[in-house]
Amino acid sequence: MAEEIKQEPPANFKVTIDNVTVEVAPGTTILQAARMVGGDVTPPAMCFYTPLKGSGGKCRTCLVEVSKGSEKDPRPMPKLVASCRTGVMDGMEVKSITSQRVLDARAGVVEFLLLNHPLDCPICDQAGECHLQDLSYEHGREGTRYEFKRRTFKKHNLGKYIQLHMTRCILCYRCVFTADQLTNTRQHGVLDRGDHAEIATYIEKSLDNDFIGNVIDVCPVGALTDKTFRFKNRVWFTKPEDAHRDCDKCCGKVTLWKRGDEVLRVTARKDQWGEIMDSEDGKTGWICNECRFDKKEVKDWIIEGPTKVARHSVIGANHYEVLDKPKETIAEVMGGRQPKLLLDIHNISDVNDPSVDLSKIDGPATGAVFNKKNLIEKETNN
Amino acid sequence: MKWSFLAKPEGVPRHLVVNADESEPGTFKDRYLMEFLPHLLIEGVIVSSYALGSNVSFIYIRGEYAWIVDILEQAIQEARNNGFLGKNILGSGFDCDVHVQRGAGAYICGEETALLESLEGKRGNPRIKPPFPAVKGVWDRPTVVNNVESIAAVVPIINEGAEEYAKIGVGKSTGTKLISACGNINKPGVYEIDMTISVEEFIYSDEWCGGISNGKRLKACIPGGSSVPILPTNLLLKTAKGEQRIMNYESLSDGGFQTGSMMGSGGFIVFDEDQCVVKHTYTLARFYRHESCGQCSPCREGTGWMEKLLLRLENGQGKMSDIDLLWDIQSKIEGNTICPLGDAAAWPVAAAIRHFRDEFEWHITHPEEAIIRNFGLAHYADEREAVLA
Repeated sequence: MAEEIKQEPPANFKVTIDNVTVEVAPGTTILQAARMVGGDVTPPAMCFYTPLKGSGGKCRTCLVEVSKGSEKDPRPMPKLVASCRTGVMDGMEVKSITSQRVLDARAGVVEFLLLNHPLDCPICDQAGECHLQDLSYEHGREGTRYEFKRRTFKKHNLGKYIQLHMTRCILCYRCVFTADQLTNTRQHGVLDRGDHAEIATYIEKSLDNDFIGNVIDVCPVGALTDKTFRFKNRVWFTKPEDAHRDCDKCCGKVTLWKRGDEVLRVTARKDQWGEIMDSEDGKTGWICNECRFDKKEVKDWIIEGPTKVARHSVIGANHYEVLDKPKETIAEVMGGRQPKLLLDIHNISDVNDPSVDLSKIDGPATGAVFNKKNLIEKETNN
Repeated sequence: MKWSFLAKPEGVPRHLVVNADESEPGTFKDRYLMEFLPHLLIEGVIVSSYALGSNVSFIYIRGEYAWIVDILEQAIQEARNNGFLGKNILGSGFDCDVHVQRGAGAYICGEETALLESLEGKRGNPRIKPPFPAVKGVWDRPTVVNNVESIAAVVPIINEGAEEYAKIGVGKSTGTKLISACGNINKPGVYEIDMTISVEEFIYSDEWCGGISNGKRLKACIPGGSSVPILPTNLLLKTAKGEQRIMNYESLSDGGFQTGSMMGSGGFIVFDEDQCVVKHTYTLARFYRHESCGQCSPCREGTGWMEKLLLRLENGQGKMSDIDLLWDIQSKIEGNTICPLGDAAAWPVAAAIRHFRDEFEWHITHPEEAIIRNFGLAHYADEREAVLA
């Protein structure tokens, strides 16, 4: 990797990120330079999306400390800067994970992002490929200090194919940029402000543009989901395969998410940062609604082979390795009280013990009945 | 001045935008200027436009100042009729026109880049800097955004000469400053000061605020608009070094945020001994929560969280850990946002906890009293005898 970079023209800027020096072309942002270094050094990015002009700078997860401005002006920058929108200078020194200030700020931002997030991952279609899941696992704290009601929104139908679930939204504005830049008309935007700001089509209307399906791909969380795939399957049970077809509207190069021979979902191809990849012939990687929503049979596609699954995904090689089990027991959570019936039943294995005649018990059956019987049995056995 | 940053290339149209979106709680000096001296502002705009080479200048005024729009429009019409605006002003070969644009009542549009977005007809979200407006402003053209007071001050500077004007005041605080004084004082209003009088004199002298109303004692003061740190009496009248605090930029910010404050926008809010700092901080937090644009996450989520915690503390339902939590939240917001609104929301909370921590604790240890008695601890109050007006 390092050798490849050194082959570029000599007019490049030297940037040091966490003591790793890379040479990059002028005009590169700190985030892009850090992505060249790769690994843990790379700041997370929830709102920045390379193909979208003007995106970034909003989520503040990619904050880094600039400890040396440049060779000419070595003063450090007083504030943490958003690496996705700050260009590199020659001789710049950046601290990402080597700065406690950055780590603290990042943990704070993760906490802020999760503050009003419903954490409904068990019923969310994005679970398994959700950037917010990865972010909170990699940079967040255990638990929350927020003790108030979370804000909620009603679900909205944005036409035939797209469901908007605003409660999950982290307001990264990616879909707004996508709709603005891929389509000729201004499709949707943000209403209201502050923590009640919401993504909306002005006076609820459907989004029906040939390329509008791409908003699903850019959404880092489960706020915009594919209605043809909703609740069909968990992401990690499906098998991604690269495929293509001749399409007169788009590049036609996609990823099929299959279970057996059934095509459950079609998405654009994404790179290891979760961003749409341009196809080899230079066309943009955005795909049209027809490819995405209507071509759901294997015979529609020419299969190229399995997709190489990248880092941002639970299906990618054991991403969540060292998960801690909760430290407190249920009794502690419930303030010293023992768990009741529901949990008690799980504690004993032979719930359906036919030797216990339920019709002869006084009142409803509880764990105590079974425990008592087990005790008696144990005593007699001994 | 800001003007030196303006991008050099000629041939690109430049613009002057006057920021009249004065929505900081406690600040109303620009309103006074525009309401009673609109011609001063228009003259300032014309002279500044000439200096900057701006042929089309804008006054972005806050939506709530609806009647002032009429006043300004009339003043502009008068200037046009007399040949001070329009084509070839007074035979100088310079064309200039001024437009008044009304905002829709958002505090965030007082931030210069959000103002420019709003002026362009978009949602008033602050832009990410750089590029600064002096390089890429309204419609990507070099733009100077100045406050009403700054533009109006151009006129006396030109009339009297820069050197004469700079003789007013002390040190680096030259010229005059408008202070809008409000709160528990006998004579609230807009005062023009020359930045040499002491804070003590400003509050108690009959020439200025005229002392604390209803014979109460001074407890605290926010010297520069709602977003700057609040100061208790002992730190307000004297700096941490024991020197007398003067009403100017350097003296008010003496001691940094630990023991000082800021001149800010000149909104001087005075609290008497009956005012509750916790309630006041909650009111401000509610304001900033409501006015946060919702673009970047620390400000969007953090302001709401602080508001809820402060409401709980104010109602006597808080916990001791809430105070530390508040401190932690404000430190996570400050400096990590796109625009200064995050800082503005974090500073009052930080200062209130820093200087009035025992008042927060009192709210927790005396929950019943905190609900019934809506005032805090009076022991911060100035020890001098209350003077009945």
